[in-house]
Amino acid sequence: MNCMFKLAIITSFVFCSLANADIPIFTVEIRDHLFYPSLIKIPADTKIKLIVINTDSSPEEFESYELNREKVIMGGAKATIFIGPLAPGDYPFFGEFNPKTAQGLIRVEQ
Amino acid sequence: MVDAVLLVLREVLEAALIVSLLLALTYKLQLHYRWSIIALVCGFLGSIFLAYYTSAIADAADGRGQELLNVVLYLVVVVCVLWVGFLITSVFVSCIKNKKNNERLIATEKNNPYLLIMLCSVIVSFSLAREGSEIWIYFSSFTIQSQSFYSALIGAAIGIGIGMSLGGITYYLLIFMKEKYFTPGFLVVVTLLSGGLSLQIAKQFMQIGLLDSDGPIWDSSFLVNEKSWVGELLYALFGYDAQPNSVQAYFYLAATLPMLINFLWHWRSLRETSNAKKN
Repeated sequence: MNCMFKLAIITSFVFCSLANADIPIFTVEIRDHLFYPSLIKIPADTKIKLIVINTDSSPEEFESYELNREKVIMGGAKATIFIGPLAPGDYPFFGEFNPKTAQGLIRVEQ
Repeated sequence: MVDAVLLVLREVLEAALIVSLLLALTYKLQLHYRWSIIALVCGFLGSIFLAYYTSAIADAADGRGQELLNVVLYLVVVVCVLWVGFLITSVFVSCIKNKKNNERLIATEKNNPYLLIMLCSVIVSFSLAREGSEIWIYFSSFTIQSQSFYSALIGAAIGIGIGMSLGGITYYLLIFMKEKYFTPGFLVVVTLLSGGLSLQIAKQFMQIGLLDSDGPIWDSSFLVNEKSWVGELLYALFGYDAQPNSVQAYFYLAATLPMLINFLWHWRSLRETSNAKKN
């Protein structure tokens, strides 16, 4: 039973990795509590992989109500967040730990 | 400071509402509140543990560790919440059939009150550990004894105070309710709570790419905006999402359907008993 459970987990990871192999990758950097770039343009109806690199020494939380995503990224670490497929439009995101400065926008275009 | 107030309040609110709900339940059943102290201590220690090992957890499972751990934590709480719902439903129905007061029944029935206390303890400690860890991570970003640290500390104290006050108001509103309104109301809240938590599980799977998110089924932001105070309150208690997608809807159904089937089954049982008595 234990072996079956482990096998199921590994299989799902492998399947997921294979399924996500051809997904477009976008990168955003957190530096001095700001997002670089602050505007990311992605294609509509396409699942993308967003890599968030926190170059600050302090943690930040990538969050977006519109995208329904929320992830803590420790200082000096990076995180991968899958987004979409999304309809055309603007989807803001922010750093919850520094909401006044860390703000960005994902613009979905046809 | 305002950022700290809002951040801490968001994290504390969910835990505070769950604690007040379960404390009100145990008050109504005349069970001692000692379990809550142990659960809160365990939750507090758990939050420190999770915050301390955040980096290791995040790096685990090819960068998916944080989401997978969240899934486990949410799943355990959902199962326990549903179990509490099932226990209370059978107690409530038994009361109606035997026309006894709710308060004494669970101590005299075969249902073990310690099971209920254990479930409540797990719900509270897991919820607090999950929500509290983010507060510790937030504070780790400040240099101790800096101006911003003290400002954030005061903000956090205010946020905790507001959260606990709302929890206290909820508790007293619930305990002053008559039993015939409290129990059905409690069961409705429990059903919605389990649904809300299941939305979080769906969110974790979508975030790591195990499930695909599609467009929203509806947009109720014109009614209640997620960023508003009401929206935050509804999110804390029911996992309110103004733009849910179909994946979230399936998870919501999967979590709430057991309770709905349970209600229907007991309602049918009550009707049969009532018809039998008339005949």
